[in-house]
Amino acid sequence: MATNWRFAWRNIWRNKRRTVLTMCAIGFGAALIVFSVGLQLGQYDLMISGTTRVYHGLVQVQKQDYLDDARMRDSIPDAQSLGQQIRQQTGLKNVTVRANGFALVSSAERTYGVAVVGIEPEHEPDVSIIPGLVKEGRYLSQNDALEIVIGKSLAKNLKVKIGDELTIMGSGRDGSIAATILPIVGIFESAVRELDRSFVQMPINTFQDTFSMGSHAHAVVVYHKDADLLEPVKQQLQALISTRNQNLVALGWDQVQPGIKESIELDYSSGWIMYIVLIFVITFSIMNTFLMSVLERTREFGIMLALGYKPFNIGKLVMMEAFILAVFALIIGTAIGVAVNYYYLINGLTFEGMEEIAAQYNMPSTITPQISVESSLLGPAIILIFTLLAALYPAMKIRKLQPVEAMRHI
Amino acid sequence: MKVLAAVIFSISLSTSAYATETDASAIIKAAIDNYRGLSSYSEASMTIHRPDWERTVSMKVWTEGLDKSLVRITAPSKDKGSGTLLIDNNMWSYAPKINRVIKIPSSMSNQSWMGSDFSNNDIARADDIIDQYTHTLIKTTPSANGNIYLIQSIPHEDAPVVWGKEMLTINHQHVLLKHEFYDQDNVLVKTLSASDIQLIDGKHVSLVQRMQKTGHDNEWTEFRSSLVKFNIKLNKNTFTLLNLRNPR
Repeated sequence: MATNWRFAWRNIWRNKRRTVLTMCAIGFGAALIVFSVGLQLGQYDLMISGTTRVYHGLVQVQKQDYLDDARMRDSIPDAQSLGQQIRQQTGLKNVTVRANGFALVSSAERTYGVAVVGIEPEHEPDVSIIPGLVKEGRYLSQNDALEIVIGKSLAKNLKVKIGDELTIMGSGRDGSIAATILPIVGIFESAVRELDRSFVQMPINTFQDTFSMGSHAHAVVVYHKDADLLEPVKQQLQALISTRNQNLVALGWDQVQPGIKESIELDYSSGWIMYIVLIFVITFSIMNTFLMSVLERTREFGIMLALGYKPFNIGKLVMMEAFILAVFALIIGTAIGVAVNYYYLINGLTFEGMEEIAAQYNMPSTITPQISVESSLLGPAIILIFTLLAALYPAMKIRKLQPVEAMRHI
Repeated sequence: MKVLAAVIFSISLSTSAYATETDASAIIKAAIDNYRGLSSYSEASMTIHRPDWERTVSMKVWTEGLDKSLVRITAPSKDKGSGTLLIDNNMWSYAPKINRVIKIPSSMSNQSWMGSDFSNNDIARADDIIDQYTHTLIKTTPSANGNIYLIQSIPHEDAPVVWGKEMLTINHQHVLLKHEFYDQDNVLVKTLSASDIQLIDGKHVSLVQRMQKTGHDNEWTEFRSSLVKFNIKLNKNTFTLLNLRNPR
């Protein structure tokens, strides 16, 4: 066996230039795919952490059906006590309770329809970055304070500033008219257009009073910075809420924000279509190389056959050559790809005009590639498989060789 | 308001000189023309039904023509004194507990009115059905007392309407029996059906209007008039913001 490998190794270096060129094609392809996949996966990590960190958390507990059409009545009873229970019993630190509604907010001059959210001022900063994005004034102070914070664009549209009063009018949980007047204490700027333009926050108890919610709320939001813990955290919460028997469900960020998940999947699969095209091009160039190397050795193979070498073994030899060549090229290419990823992981990668697009996906404008088994090895593994498939055709041709004819071949 | 408009339709159609007119838009146009200037006062209750709860709101309603109406909530006590004023397509809401009037922006026209299955649009936009739609008489079904007309109304391309098609069923007394709303994909979204037809002040009126969203059998809103008077004398400041804010 070892002899065969040595044989194969020597064979591939009989035509150095061709071998090096082929290895370059494979290695370059591998490096490119490793870098691109790493970049893509890194970008997705940022999208996910952006989504979870900005506002939505990693997992949310909601009433069953609330996710579908956000009806105010589909609420969690004693929501704040549930929040407290989660904090105490699960070891999850970043937990906050929210109540959501829709209302018209109106200044002296203008009226807009906005999403109104009741939050726990003490816990919201553990889950969302919005409290930290208050650029003017301050964030909400306590659960029953009569105050409101609004987004920067909304403030501009309403023509209001800190200290001005806003009239809020909507429907309460019992269908009654919910109305209140609250002074603006803070204006936040998140760069997420939707939040800055049509989103206001008030303390949770103020919300519950205004919207006749009693002790109900709509979501207990749990944040954890490690997005890979999604499933364990979800299961932990599901176990805890099932003891309450209130038809509650624990939903991951990917269920709460399916759009982000879908755009990640779409982007990833469209990326792979490109890679597969690239891999095909590489595959055909390799097939060409091996076909050449087999055809030019017809005479040699004829002699080997005449000496009693089995056609199967010669085919195996050709496959070994392909394997050695591909593995060498892939090791070098992957190493280059990972090195480039590592460089940008340390230094960050910024594109011109990236900020605006990034803001839409709650992302920072610098991308850092992901270095993982998937990003580093998936592409090269596929190239290896295709390379071996490409070598299979020339290898199979050997089986048809007749020793005498082959030896007479020029 | 459409709820009221349905009442109004029935009246105006029944008094219409075009009672035998089979051209759909002529029927509707005559109906509206006939109604101009007619004033009304009614007392009504609106029941919002959901699988797990139900709520009934009582109100008084004043209208003048199709483009002015004032609704004032009388019960439950929590919402007593709240009101909605409509002039043309402008809509204002008043909440006594904060003593403020808010003008409802037109962008909110598809939001639900007071938590019901009626949208602000349903409430406000009534006479648009004449000028902004193309009407076709689809079917005339003879019944024992007279014909029942089925009219298809398709909004003009530039009409500020969310519906793709509306179907109106009008009976021999020219009462609007059914008003179906289809979306742009021609899927039935909700149905307004009328019942309990009475003769009041010489006009046929349906006292019960029910709005039902398709596919949610257990969710509906019913608007039930208990007292209806026509051609009453209205104070000239009835339809003003001042009156909305300061109920007598």
